[in-house]
Amino acid sequence: MSDIIIKTSSLTVHYGKKRGISNINLSVHKGEIFGFLGPNGAGKTTTMRVLLDIIRPTSGEASIFGLDCKKQGIEIRRKVGYLPGEFSPYSGMTGQEFLTLFASLKENKGNLSSIQELCERLDLDPSRKMKQYSHGNKQKVGIISAFMGKPELLILDEPTIGLDPIAQRTVLELVRETRNEGRTVLFSSHIMPEVQSVCDRVGIIKDGHLIKTESIKSLIEQQIKRIHLTLTRTPPLDAFDIEGVRETRRDGNTVSLDVLNKLDDVLAIALRYGIEDIETAQVTLEEIFVTLYNHANKEKINA
Amino acid sequence: MLNLLIHEMKSRWIAVLGWSVGLSVFGVLYLNIFPEVEEQLAALADLSVYQAFGFDMGTFEGFIGSTIVLFMPIWLGIYVIINSTKTLAGEEEDGTLELLLATPLHRWQIVSAKMVAIGLAIFAILVVVATVNGLVLREINTVNPVDITFWQLFVAVLNAWPLIMVFVAMGLFLSALLPTRKIAVIILSGIFITSYLGENLANDVASLSFIKPFSLFAYFDSRSTVFTVGVQARDVMLLLGVAAMFFALALISFQRRNVTVGAWPWQNSKV
Repeated sequence: MSDIIIKTSSLTVHYGKKRGISNINLSVHKGEIFGFLGPNGAGKTTTMRVLLDIIRPTSGEASIFGLDCKKQGIEIRRKVGYLPGEFSPYSGMTGQEFLTLFASLKENKGNLSSIQELCERLDLDPSRKMKQYSHGNKQKVGIISAFMGKPELLILDEPTIGLDPIAQRTVLELVRETRNEGRTVLFSSHIMPEVQSVCDRVGIIKDGHLIKTESIKSLIEQQIKRIHLTLTRTPPLDAFDIEGVRETRRDGNTVSLDVLNKLDDVLAIALRYGIEDIETAQVTLEEIFVTLYNHANKEKINA
Repeated sequence: MLNLLIHEMKSRWIAVLGWSVGLSVFGVLYLNIFPEVEEQLAALADLSVYQAFGFDMGTFEGFIGSTIVLFMPIWLGIYVIINSTKTLAGEEEDGTLELLLATPLHRWQIVSAKMVAIGLAIFAILVVVATVNGLVLREINTVNPVDITFWQLFVAVLNAWPLIMVFVAMGLFLSALLPTRKIAVIILSGIFITSYLGENLANDVASLSFIKPFSLFAYFDSRSTVFTVGVQARDVMLLLGVAAMFFALALISFQRRNVTVGAWPWQNSKV
């Protein structure tokens, strides 16, 4: 049996002439935490909504658990916990009423029993009305609603937004526990350190296109090199202005560079000015994300 | 689906209570006011402006039929315009519809639960208003006999239900079809007002009589005839048929809708 939980093939959504997503090919495997990265409007939420049959694709296919997202959406949604990017509960209900309602609608008997435990872990008083909750506490209700009943797949659109640091940490713990139990998480976030700390793989989406899918480990180890070069002579300002290279700092003869797959070219240029010293440093996911984005921008301009 | 229906009913009970009390008081006031205004109303009966607005108030039957009975779908029409468009388009804009669509419910179940909940809420309001007004009428009959019985008034008030259900179904359809709630409210209000005025103007102006068959109010039995002739089964069936047609269109439109996108139908992705 295939261990692919989410699969999209050439998934495209257009709203009239407006772009949604284009040609997204994505595979998320069983038991992994897959991070979906991209700025606002890149297409992360649209992709998640297509998976849940909230939005219909213009072309292409999407499946979860091997089931077609549109034709077999009911069976899929029985096994999926979802937290939308903008969680908006019914304001007239208490947290408990909301969670009880959605537990019954999700048709999972394990839902009710897990509500109390999740409320305790997230330090939420479910007896208060939604309109009395702060933004963070509303978000906690949404998180509990997604996690209750231990669904096989969790689709979380920016789950830690608006949460205090303690609650953020609890949510990331819950996400890791989900993976450790062999269940799967599709997770979107703007907070790179948390993506780096919990995700196994990431997909980077830009202007509706998936520009990179890679494991966090190999992204950090292989993709981008941070180099501090100390040169004999001062190179001109545009010396390292080549595709795939970003100059991050310059101090006299010392130049710091983020290099994407162009190490040979960079060293060849550096040799012209005489290399006194080379140091390499750890690159964060955020820096990789920015470099890949800039690289994609340049490619777009060149095209 | 039953759990959703129960939730939808619970979320409307305060509205049901408020509208029931308000419309019952409205009816009771009109039932008691007639002896004091009877002569003045008889003098006004021939005015074309009265006729244009469907008033026929020279007799007790005409007075009750032109006030309590005729105004029932007008007042409840306001509730329906607000509530039916809030139900799909409003919930989509609030973000709560996205949560429902992520549960293992079919889209037709969501629309049906909301249609049934609004339908039952309106039916409950009408039953309360009809009962309270009928009981008051019974008291009036013991003191000053009139030509309307408890059951005649009860049936005349409930007779508003099929007409209101047409606007409920139309509201759900427009909510499922159009990009925003605001547009749905404007169009539904326009249809409602045009339908009411169109029927009354068609009655009064011969050259406009051709629009009468297109007015939904033309199939709503009110004024004195609702007591003298009675509620016409053919009119009730026709209105329920139109309601069923718009409900079917609402189901189809919602099935095709890209929820959370706010697009016109031609901008939607393929199904």
